[in-house]
Amino acid sequence: MDLTTNHFLFVSAALFVIGMMGVLTRRNILIIFMCVEMMVAAVGITLVAFSHETATINGQVFFLFALAVAAAESAVGLAIVVALSRQGRAPDVEEMQTLKN
Amino acid sequence: MSWELVFFAVFSAAMLLCGLGVVAFENPVHSAVALVGSFINVAALFVMLGAEFLGVLQIIVYTGAVLVLVLFTIMLIDPTKLPEFYVGAPLQRFASVVVGAILLAEIGVAIITRTALEQIGPHTEAMVQQMGGNVQAIGQVMLSEYALAFEIASLVLTVGVVGAVVIGLPNRMVEPNTVTMSLGHTRGSSDMLAAGPKFESPMNIPAERYTAPVGERTVVMTKDPDAYTHPGETSK
Repeated sequence: MDLTTNHFLFVSAALFVIGMMGVLTRRNILIIFMCVEMMVAAVGITLVAFSHETATINGQVFFLFALAVAAAESAVGLAIVVALSRQGRAPDVEEMQTLKN
Repeated sequence: MSWELVFFAVFSAAMLLCGLGVVAFENPVHSAVALVGSFINVAALFVMLGAEFLGVLQIIVYTGAVLVLVLFTIMLIDPTKLPEFYVGAPLQRFASVVVGAILLAEIGVAIITRTALEQIGPHTEAMVQQMGGNVQAIGQVMLSEYALAFEIASLVLTVGVVGAVVIGLPNRMVEPNTVTMSLGHTRGSSDMLAAGPKFESPMNIPAERYTAPVGERTVVMTKDPDAYTHPGETSK
């Protein structure tokens, strides 16, 4: 049995589903944020696996851009969490339903 | 049974276990450390796929920068304000498992029934070696074919940083010119109406920061004895 692209695709699907279950069930906004990052990494495995299979390097370049966008997103998201905690509000998605006040 | 398959099994098992840890750990700090373990194994899978540059970048950007940011944020938050450990109502948990299993089955069927792609591109392993390595190959494609996307990515990063700074600004810098004082409270009434007020700040912030002339501020009078703010604080 050889290592094929399908193995990587299965593993990335499993990681994506784990991240999705975290987003669906947890309440702490920081955990949800980490699970989203995990889903981005899972998609990255898929991109790199197909890039390896077709011998094109475009998939790796795509993931590079996804990495840049994820970094910007994490900066903004964590700033929102800090601003929330400065107002004395909990980082809880059940309580945080509006961005106003 | 090749060694490659053994390494793949070890790395992917560690990655999935750490991923489960992120979801299941009670303490957010433990979740963040589990995420570090998961991302290091993702980087190992990238290296196995011949994307050495992305593997290194994954470790530098994610475990080096983003996760440190997450840990800083966790420690900035008042730990008593963190929502208590909660993995969903029983129905919610059941539904998430069902939806996850369905999604996994769908993707699995799609993977099994797909036809394998051929090596259509020019970047075979021998070709990449001839170009000088993975970094050179990515750089050549990114700065020629994807030059516009590269510039847009830099724009996105700039906007993200500026947005993070604006969101994170303290409120006293956003709304500096409102003072609320209480009529039923002796504190603050005399010294704030005097010209050029200088008074002790309860927050031990130097009083010079509060010495704006009275005429430039909005003074709000209330009957509530607790509604008393210093200039520079936002009224509650």
